[in-house]
Amino acid sequence: MSTSARSEILARVRKASRGSSAESLSQQLQGLGVAPAAPLPCAELATAFLANVLKNQGSAAVVSGRSEAVKAVGAYLYKHFRSHRLVAGNDPHLAAMPWRDAGVLPRFGSIEPGEPAALSYAMLGIAETGAIVTFTGKSSPASNNLLSEHHIVLVDQAKLVANMEQAWLGINREIERVGRPRGINFIAGPSSTGDIEGKLVYGAHGPRGWHVILIGEALDSALQEARELAGLA
Amino acid sequence: MRQTSDTFLENASHALADADKVQRRDLMAVFTPLIRDAAMEGFGQFDALRQHVKQVRQHSLDHLGHYLTQFEEEALHNGNFVHYARDGNELNSRVLDICQQHSARHIAKGKSMVTEETGLNDFLERAGLSVTETDLGEYIIQQAGETPSHIVGPALHKSAAEIRELFLDKHDLGPRELAEITDLVGEARQVLRDKFLKAEVGIIGANALIAESGYSMLVTNEGNGDLCANLPKVLIICTTIDRVLPRAEDATAMLRLLVRSATGQAQTCYTSFYSGPRRELDTDGPLETHFVLLDNHRSDILASDYHEMLQCIRCGACLNHCPIYTGVGGHAFGWVYPGPMGSILTPLLTSLEQSNALPNACTSCGRCAEVCPADIPIPDLLRDLRHEETRRQLSAPRWRLGMKLHGWLARHPRLYHRLTGWAITALHRLGRKRGRFSRLPMAEGWTSQRDFPAPQGKTFMQQFALQQQQEMPSPVRDKPRKTRLRPEAGRTKAPRVKPSPPGAAKTASKAVPADKPARAVAAKAPAKSASPKSRTGKPPARKPRSRGPVKTRTEPHFGEPLEPQSGADERRSTTTGKPQEPDDVN
Amino acid sequence: MTRPATDTPQSRPNLRVSLFVTCLADLLRPSVAFASIKLLEQAGCEVSVPLQQTCCGQPAYNTGDYETSEPLARQLIEQFEDAEYVVVPSGSCAGMICHHYPRLLKGEWRDRALQLAAKTFELTTFLTDIAKLQRGEREPIALPSVTYHDSCAGLRELGIKAQPRQLLQELCATDVIELQQTEVCCGFGGTFCAKMPEISGKMVGDKLANAVATKAAVLTGGDLGCLLNIAGRAHRQGESIQVRHIAELLVGDLDSPAIGEAES
Repeated sequence: MSTSARSEILARVRKASRGSSAESLSQQLQGLGVAPAAPLPCAELATAFLANVLKNQGSAAVVSGRSEAVKAVGAYLYKHFRSHRLVAGNDPHLAAMPWRDAGVLPRFGSIEPGEPAALSYAMLGIAETGAIVTFTGKSSPASNNLLSEHHIVLVDQAKLVANMEQAWLGINREIERVGRPRGINFIAGPSSTGDIEGKLVYGAHGPRGWHVILIGEALDSALQEARELAGLA
Repeated sequence: MRQTSDTFLENASHALADADKVQRRDLMAVFTPLIRDAAMEGFGQFDALRQHVKQVRQHSLDHLGHYLTQFEEEALHNGNFVHYARDGNELNSRVLDICQQHSARHIAKGKSMVTEETGLNDFLERAGLSVTETDLGEYIIQQAGETPSHIVGPALHKSAAEIRELFLDKHDLGPRELAEITDLVGEARQVLRDKFLKAEVGIIGANALIAESGYSMLVTNEGNGDLCANLPKVLIICTTIDRVLPRAEDATAMLRLLVRSATGQAQTCYTSFYSGPRRELDTDGPLETHFVLLDNHRSDILASDYHEMLQCIRCGACLNHCPIYTGVGGHAFGWVYPGPMGSILTPLLTSLEQSNALPNACTSCGRCAEVCPADIPIPDLLRDLRHEETRRQLSAPRWRLGMKLHGWLARHPRLYHRLTGWAITALHRLGRKRGRFSRLPMAEGWTSQRDFPAPQGKTFMQQFALQQQQEMPSPVRDKPRKTRLRPEAGRTKAPRVKPSPPGAAKTASKAVPADKPARAVAAKAPAKSASPKSRTGKPPARKPRSRGPVKTRTEPHFGEPLEPQSGADERRSTTTGKPQEPDDVN
Repeated sequence: MTRPATDTPQSRPNLRVSLFVTCLADLLRPSVAFASIKLLEQAGCEVSVPLQQTCCGQPAYNTGDYETSEPLARQLIEQFEDAEYVVVPSGSCAGMICHHYPRLLKGEWRDRALQLAAKTFELTTFLTDIAKLQRGEREPIALPSVTYHDSCAGLRELGIKAQPRQLLQELCATDVIELQQTEVCCGFGGTFCAKMPEISGKMVGDKLANAVATKAAVLTGGDLGCLLNIAGRAHRQGESIQVRHIAELLVGDLDSPAIGEAES
């Protein structure tokens, strides 16, 4: 039974472990310092973030405000689907967007069959990896992230952090506020696989399209530079 | 999984006979190290990161009791069921129980090497469940009825053409081309989407377990693991107890190494942390979640000299860089884990008796250790396993005895030099005409694949000793000294060298003080050390008793006769390598 | 006392070197040892050769027979530990002494091993880093085109990579034609090549193919085990590439038969 398995395993593990108080362990761990992070392609966070999004085979757009943002969403949808059909998580940030400005009205909820595109609002964007972070929940149902053909994400420039370690600081603060989410998802591109002959192909099980819209002041040059850094300009 | 490690050499032979597969592996052998190197160069601080992560993991393993308990508390607090399994059977039974409790018929499975270890799929299928592997590579080999050949890319041994045939055969989707790899992936996506939606239970592994919060980390490019973790009503996470890390940032630090080492990417598409069942605010996710924590010898390994192997993060870099792995492929190793890491794990997780060829499938080239992101001393652990084989007498007697004989002989230098002198001279004579042997008794292993170069002439020691002898001013010698050599093994401090005529010897020639072995020959060796017997015996017959003028020596030109010493320019004099019998010395 | 000639480093007293010839050089190719002596003397060293040396114990150690290897390690330490420097024309034997003796031995013997390791060098490394051998007034030695196999132990245990290339430049004004996959094992691996002949055969076949593809006339390297392996395969396959040890090239010993070649 599991209980005897448990005691046996824990006994064996404890025997092979060194004894120490939790406090001293915590101190030892702190003493090991912080892991080195990957170098950013450039010092400016927005540019670095966008460059990595592009390197990960995502697409990116930059806008200066919420009105522009919804128009950018509309433009993407129209370009890929010739329609404005969209599902979005029940995120207050998304609900409060001026959708009328773009003539787009997302259905708020979980993705249903036949809905090709899903929209999320990122809790954080990580420049080191070009990833965005969401918590599962009504505001960002996991199925929206995974079952859509195209996944569109809105990121506020103010929510960008440099690296993983800083991301965890932000995540932990949020957890203190709202409690532990069921899932914390770091998403860094359209889904892919290299399982056949080692050749990288996009659109494995998850989305084929990954579009990041960064909202902030005067970001056009950042996008331009990001394209150059990603070898796309 | 049925183990065939005991027929490694036959497996390897079979693998080497398939020219197409050899060619594919050769390509991988060139390509995969390049992309890994590029990724590490891009990161720039491989060693610093490696050392940091190693220390954190070492700390975690040193205190695994604490962290495992902490993880369990948090996981329970998060609403999970936490089960422990001592071995594969217990894990399999526990998983089946859970599935049967929920009357599940369809299982969607993410990639998990641990469940390959326990043979979970077969076990569940024998109980009447339908299990679908959703990782594309695992799906392909499942359809083909094969086992994984690589721990990261299980189907990399198959060509696109073979996979196309497989899909045309297995998927009833009517006539279609499937000309490109993108088509194959698209078809798999379509077929598997249905399986995700239909499955009642999702089973995944974990790349890490976070002690401070009870989360498990899942890393994929495809997103299939996440689909298994979010869609079915029940989620079971199967992993081993050594996967626990203290904090979430430790896991993402380790991830920096894992992804670059495995695929040359800077990050994977999906990195997810799952804490437990659906909560109030969730609109999706499993209603019930279970951790099944497997030991299966991990606690043994933790307490053993091989504990560093628990640091392995399953990146596959050692496989990609191992010329034996790339030469023969993963199936030759005969079990779940191939390549260098597999050659250590297979004996530890199954038995050394069943897999004793594996630790020998290694030249100690060290390429694996060079790239291992966990800094595991793989060649040393493999050698230690070979030591274990020696201890248990698992290696072939002729090798064991041959080594012992060689070792004994080498500890008796005079006998060694005499015997080798004879043997080498004889072999030289036999082989000098052709310069090599295509066949040599007791060397079939060597000569089956290459010629054996014939010895050049007498042994160095023979020639050197002879040359030294010629240095000795001997009253019986009436011929001029033919060679000028640096003498060796004199006990007395040599007299100063006579000044050479101007413009002569270009390099310094100074008498050398007596070397220790010579001294030791006469003196008793110190009590503690294991001195070979000869060193306490009489001094060797040929030791020079005094030193003449010492000049430089040039290398011998074999086959050329000795030439008389010219006067000043020593360096141009030749010494001979021509075999000389002791009587010849003059 | 004879003054050192102008083409050897003068700014320091002569280095006293004890040569560990290695059993492969002793038995199969003494010219390597003689060439090593010549090079060391060119560099202004006083070379001595402890007569009781036999084997460093690597074969037994690598097959896992630590018990047979240990006495050989102790024997070698005793024979060489009083030297000022120990030089070895083999990366694997030097690596055995420097890296593996301290792993193999315990207590007092480990300390002695560490002390010996601190002054033990592979030949090309010693010549470049310590003795700083230079061509000086001499003419560069004329060599045919050369490619180089980086033997694993020397490369990874001792960091031998630039040194032989540097010496080929310095003494022979020769640049190595680099072969593809130069850092991949040639399949010798001590007893491996005899225990797993087919796999070893694939590896050496690949190495030879890469060497031949450079179109170099000569393949060289610092480890006789590797060179015997590659030369043996070259002859088996009828390839004309010659195989010589780097020490032989650096002294211009090109007339004697290459490895596996018949006496002409």
